[in-house]
Amino acid sequence: MTSTVAGRTTAATANGVGSSPARPDGTRKVRGEFAYSSDLWHEDMLWGATLRSPHPHARITGVDVSAAVAVPGVHAVLTHGDVPGLNRYGLEHPDQPVLADDVVRYRGEPVAVVAADHPETAQRAMKLIEVTYDELEPVTDAEDAVHGDVAELHPGGNVVRHAPIRRGEQTPQADVVVTGRYEVGMQDQAFLGPESGLAVPDGHGGVDLYVATQWLHVDQQQIVAALGLTPEQVRLTLAGVGGAFGGREDLSMQIHASLLALYTGKPVKMVYNREESFYGHVHRHPATMYYEHGATRDGRLVHVTARIYLDGGAYASSTGAVVGNAATLGVGPYDVPNVSIDCWGTYTNNPPCGAMRGFGAVQAAFGYESQMDKLADACGLSPTEIRRRNAMSEGTVMPTGQTVDSAAPVAELLDRLEGMPLPQPGSTADLRTLPGGVSNTTHGEGVVRGVGYAVGIKNICFSEGFDDYSTARVRLAAVGGQPAVTVQTAAAEVGQGLVTILQQIIRTELGVEQVTILPMDTSIGSAGSTSASRQSYMTGGAVRAAALKVRGALLSHAATRLSRTTAELHLDGGKLASVADGVLADLVDVLGEAEFDETVEWRHRPTEALDPETGRGNAHVQYGFAAHRAVVDVDTELGLVKVVSLDCVQDVGKALNPQAVVGQIQGGSAQGLGLAVMEEIQTEGGVIRNPSFTDYLIPTVLDMPPMNIDVLELADPHAPYGLRGVGEPPTISSTPAIVAAIRAATGKELLRVPVRPDHIV
Amino acid sequence: MIPFEYRRADDVSAAVDTVARNPTASFLGGGTNLVDHLKLGVATPEHLVDVSRLPLDDIEPGPDGGLRIGATARNSDTAADPDVRSRYPVLAEALLSGASGQLRNLATVGGNLLQRTRCAYFQDVTTPCNKREPGTGCSALEGYQRYHAILGASRHCVATHPSDMAVAMVALDATVHVQGPNGSRSLPAEELHRLPGDEPERDTVLEHGELITAVELPPLPFAANSAYRKVRDRASYAFALVSVAAALDVDDAGTVRDVRIAFGGLAHKPWRAHRAEAALRGGPATDDRAARAAEAELENAEPLAGNAFKIPMARGALTATLRRLSPLPTTR
Repeated sequence: MTSTVAGRTTAATANGVGSSPARPDGTRKVRGEFAYSSDLWHEDMLWGATLRSPHPHARITGVDVSAAVAVPGVHAVLTHGDVPGLNRYGLEHPDQPVLADDVVRYRGEPVAVVAADHPETAQRAMKLIEVTYDELEPVTDAEDAVHGDVAELHPGGNVVRHAPIRRGEQTPQADVVVTGRYEVGMQDQAFLGPESGLAVPDGHGGVDLYVATQWLHVDQQQIVAALGLTPEQVRLTLAGVGGAFGGREDLSMQIHASLLALYTGKPVKMVYNREESFYGHVHRHPATMYYEHGATRDGRLVHVTARIYLDGGAYASSTGAVVGNAATLGVGPYDVPNVSIDCWGTYTNNPPCGAMRGFGAVQAAFGYESQMDKLADACGLSPTEIRRRNAMSEGTVMPTGQTVDSAAPVAELLDRLEGMPLPQPGSTADLRTLPGGVSNTTHGEGVVRGVGYAVGIKNICFSEGFDDYSTARVRLAAVGGQPAVTVQTAAAEVGQGLVTILQQIIRTELGVEQVTILPMDTSIGSAGSTSASRQSYMTGGAVRAAALKVRGALLSHAATRLSRTTAELHLDGGKLASVADGVLADLVDVLGEAEFDETVEWRHRPTEALDPETGRGNAHVQYGFAAHRAVVDVDTELGLVKVVSLDCVQDVGKALNPQAVVGQIQGGSAQGLGLAVMEEIQTEGGVIRNPSFTDYLIPTVLDMPPMNIDVLELADPHAPYGLRGVGEPPTISSTPAIVAAIRAATGKELLRVPVRPDHIV
Repeated sequence: MIPFEYRRADDVSAAVDTVARNPTASFLGGGTNLVDHLKLGVATPEHLVDVSRLPLDDIEPGPDGGLRIGATARNSDTAADPDVRSRYPVLAEALLSGASGQLRNLATVGGNLLQRTRCAYFQDVTTPCNKREPGTGCSALEGYQRYHAILGASRHCVATHPSDMAVAMVALDATVHVQGPNGSRSLPAEELHRLPGDEPERDTVLEHGELITAVELPPLPFAANSAYRKVRDRASYAFALVSVAAALDVDDAGTVRDVRIAFGGLAHKPWRAHRAEAALRGGPATDDRAARAAEAELENAEPLAGNAFKIPMARGALTATLRRLSPLPTTR
């Protein structure tokens, strides 16, 4: 099979782009042999522990570490005064203390760190640190934080960002108007591998850090600033990552372990337990949203007006970018002539919130999709018909003024969903198919079925003028009588399967089967974050670009040696071939002792910042779309919901690895199901009440139904291979589709997720 | 973690003696609850006496034709026992609705009865809690109340008992056999757990050093027609919001001859629903009468702001459970 990309003939070796080869890490993970960051070990290493604030808001009036230091086996007890550089870090704004100095702003904020020869010793010493606090009134309501008379938690006030979007008429008249106030609870990423890493001092004032993270270089920048070192002195290597979903984009133990390692001169390992993990990473922003939708009598949208409040918690993290997404995507995948959206991200004394799969688009989608169903009712239309009448398509102008310049098949997604067969009415023979499952709550009586639809939109890659790039190095040489390629990037493999995709790209571009992905580290330039559904696009794009340079150099080399033109040569299955004469030579013979080594820094086309007054600007590089149809059975007597089916249609541009695409859609949909019916971090006065996997509920196999999945491949001409980021869109439409189905079954309004049994009985 | 001494008990009397003599000692069963509490700092015993390997794991016919279940029988084994499954299905169902397979493989009958509350404040050592630290106050009164009591609570404590198994045993009129430093005694399962009153730190009437050795189920022929229903936030591995254990005896005319009902998730103890039972006896087992029986039982309920939903949920759960056990056609 050959295909033409960008005017050059390419060859497809087995297991290239478009196939689903085995993951290089798959077998080891399934067998339990894969080394995660919590498995790191070093001779003579110490164990770190973190003392955290028990109060959501308090002034520190004294810290006495003397009893802790005196514990035998303790090597260091450090507080803010021991931070040699800037005692602040943060993804967008350096507003978070490495170790609290005067004020703590959330329960769980690090105050001191301990290194000891045993984890229990460290824990015991930690409990001997005496911190005295003057408790302050916590600010726990995001709307109060913006409009109320409450304490300013940071210089400049409690608004991290306000993003207005203005389009068209600002006082429009519509035949039909529906309004609603919607809430989204605080969801956790609930990755399985807790925060962990190992810092090893190099003996010359620098440190090597092995850590599970999402973005090595931005970690490095923040660590360097806090330690007062140069980037050359702080080298990061990605350790085995047990899931991320955005929760590892912010620092956790990185600076603390490095600080302890440099102070003690010994390697220091830190591993959070599950409870500490809930305090140790950011969560999805809880949202309160006020929506007004106006339409003509026949259901064509006239306007959308919205106020969206996102609770960013104690520190900014990525709140600014989350606000940008919720605002720019706040009307959903619809063509709306008149828009007025105001979105605020705030500081409060709740746990810090930041990146989580869907990143602002999830919250908005629960608001606008609930409204679309309400509007459908008011106009006497079906939920799919109202969406079709307003569906955006290629060429639609977004509320920001940006023209959507590749496929936006919203109507087709809905058509395909409607065309899928509906599940048969539940069989009472198998309790697992009924609400409450094996809890024996119903044998079919009192059960009502409902069907709901939702569509979502997500920006892919970094937006709003961010210089988004990835760096890749591709090296081709003969190794042991075979052509072999090594690929080096700093792109974090967090379980999503990027390492497989990069191998596939090399096979397609260079026709070489043997591809080694080197450990990800900071010895090469940044790859950007593993977030925003961007790594196949960005690091995939960079690796492809580097591979094309290698191929160009190789073909020139071969053309000279064989007295041919490069235009007639191509690579296929480890051979050099010409169009006219077929195979000319084994690639390994062409290579000889030569080595082709290219490094590329690759960018997507630039985006623009949003106008701060109007929100206008070509802010996004690509949009992704998915739609869900949920079918639920609700036991109205007990308020229990069983999601019977959760079908999804998504456009992925090009499925580089079809099996991985389906995996992303299943996983994203399950995470959306969790938000719809069970997942919420319960906070009370800024304190988390359920920091365990016994009390924070995530769906099990008994809660998640089988899915019908339909993948569209409508190529985006701007993207490598035409691909469209896959990871986030299925998380977005899953939640509102399920809630719509529960509404259809029960007639309840259901203005908040997660929906619990007590909202239904 | 605080250092502690661990000892594996060889026989019952030595185990009882060791714990009774030492106020800082605790029995350790399957460890599925106590070990969590050690990690959280909720429990700080200095000595652990592991009773899980004592030869008390037999499940055998009782002297009066009932069934005697040894205290160290694992939950999985009890749930799988053929006599339990056929004669007391409510108990098998209750056990299987609790925790996960791995936990049930470890958890023991005695330990499960002594399981402590899942109240978030009880488990968070930084908050006031009268059950954990008497006299410090009850944080749940003004706090997160979703899993808390609506019956029999006090201003000192609104926690609920989390066990599913215990609810079934209370419905079945089980007897708990106990050995203590002063000999052995037996008490009805219904009287094992206490209401909180002004001593919420005491979950049960057992004295320090008393060890549960067995639970005896009486011969109750109509218990073969029994069921357990559990309403919770996800399909498995979650604690009950409300649960119902019921056994129903209906004559050929459809009249309730006898009935046993207990609720979980509503109180500091498994709540035996005597009022509901009385309301049901002598009349047909219809949905309507079941709902009214539930209402009679819940008449004195005092829901908190955050858990009033438990009243309609308990009514619905009882109605649904009895409907399943009743031969009458559904009269919804």
